[in-house]
Amino acid sequence: MITLDTVTKSYGAFQVLKGCSAEIGRGEVVVVCGPSGSGKSTLIKCINALETFESGQIYVDGMPVRSAKTDHSALRAKAGMVFQSFELFSHLSILDNIMLAPRLVQKRGKEELREHAKTLLRRVGLEQHADKYPIALSGGQQQRAAIARALAMKPDVMLFDEPTSALDPEMVQEVLQVMTELAREGMTMMCVTHEMGFARQVATRILFVDAGEIVDDCPVPDFFAGHCSPRAQAFLRFEAAHSR
Amino acid sequence: MQIWSWHGFFTYLGSPYIFRGALITVIMTVVSMMMGFLLGLLTAVMKRSQHRVLSWPARFYVWFFRGTPLLVQLVVIYTGLPKLDIRLSVLACSIIGLTLNEAAYLAEIIRAGLNAVPTGQIAAARALGLSERQIAWRIAFPQAFRLIIPPLGNSVNGLLKTTSVTSVISMEELMQRSQILVQDQFMVLELFSVAALYYLLMTTAWDFLQRRIEHYAERPYRRQQKTAAVEAIELPATTQDAR
Ligand SMILES: Nc1ncnc2c1ncn2[C@@H]1O[C@H](COP(=O)(O)OP(=O)(O)OP(=O)(O)O)[C@@H](O)[C@H]1O
Ligand SMILES: [Mg+2]
Repeated sequence: MITLDTVTKSYGAFQVLKGCSAEIGRGEVVVVCGPSGSGKSTLIKCINALETFESGQIYVDGMPVRSAKTDHSALRAKAGMVFQSFELFSHLSILDNIMLAPRLVQKRGKEELREHAKTLLRRVGLEQHADKYPIALSGGQQQRAAIARALAMKPDVMLFDEPTSALDPEMVQEVLQVMTELAREGMTMMCVTHEMGFARQVATRILFVDAGEIVDDCPVPDFFAGHCSPRAQAFLRFEAAHSR
Repeated sequence: MQIWSWHGFFTYLGSPYIFRGALITVIMTVVSMMMGFLLGLLTAVMKRSQHRVLSWPARFYVWFFRGTPLLVQLVVIYTGLPKLDIRLSVLACSIIGLTLNEAAYLAEIIRAGLNAVPTGQIAAARALGLSERQIAWRIAFPQAFRLIIPPLGNSVNGLLKTTSVTSVISMEELMQRSQILVQDQFMVLELFSVAALYYLLMTTAWDFLQRRIEHYAERPYRRQQKTAAVEAIELPATTQDAR
């Protein structure tokens, strides 16, 4: 579904990604973790071309990302993205947030779209909030709405960049719940997160990123059983000590 | 000579000649503001562009029209265009001058508004596959507009009065007509009081209008939303999810 082939990126003289390679199959749920500033966000944003990269290649469903011929709009329709701080459009109601892109990008009909949006809102438990504006919703509700907005494009893969990091502790679970259900339904997911519980229970694989390199790429049980690099073990100990 | 003639004051207040002058002032303000806004928007977008072919002309334009007096601009347009064999009415010249001048200031206001749109929401729109043009019209412009309503209101208020500068090219707006009537009976105070009253009336009407626009634009940003309130009253049992 997603192929990363020696992806390299620099900000000026600073190399953020130092040749990252990985393969994410259809239906897999891959958790990306690593210390702050290691390049996780940059890596995930390269996949839907929100960031450019200098060398290497990424394929999303066979479509090369770093190519003048690739239609970025089509690429982004394949890969839905959820951000740390939700980024709902603050001037639009929740329903309009969800319907905007499918209407403009995929030119879908209003009636079909409204039904689809309502279904998605029901799925994330926000059916009574369709006509509210984002500011009237809690963080957890906003993030669930943002997930629904991404799903409205019928993406083949969902990218999450620390979807629960900006949330109050009591709202983390409601968002993880939605993500877990999504994974159970067979959605291909790549998720940057510090929620090791989620990784343990839902992920199929873990990528551990440190200083711009994918240091570990292993199945979840192996990772938590300690069959990973010393750096990852140190990171896990640190996370365990600081988890809430 | 009397100090103050109420008769004179009320005569001028009821004068259709002065009233039509005020009407012309309103028309010039509305037309120049609308055209200036569009030109200002274009200039702001160009100035923000990465490409110098776009940003430099915009910068030059703003620099020039904010750097020279409106009075000079009007005179140059009024006397210069006929030399290029372009013959326009005084009203057209006035509106062109006011528009060009206003757009330069509006461009800076609009640019500030565009800069203040959350970049995260722009990235989210991009991630959803929206084109840059769609992002501009659907996300950036609406949000920027809400942010700049107060300074835009200032501009409209200012322009209502700045239109009086067009009297220099003999545009017969409110101020010019007042000055013409002064020649009749030299009731300067009475006439200018009437003019002041008209200006106050116009700016007050705009204040009212601006409040309505602001109220409308702020609707999505009020935490207390009608739907939420109604729901809380009607469905007290199912509000575990509502705030
Ligand atoms: N626009 C930029 N210009 C320069 N450096 C940048 C830029 N964006 C990110 N960086 C640097 O690139 C590195 C990787 O950033 P990135 O946001 O990908 O890290 P991260 O792993 O997501 O960290 P976090 O866990 O804090 O979100 C950081 O050291 C950061 O300072
Ligand atoms: Mg990050």
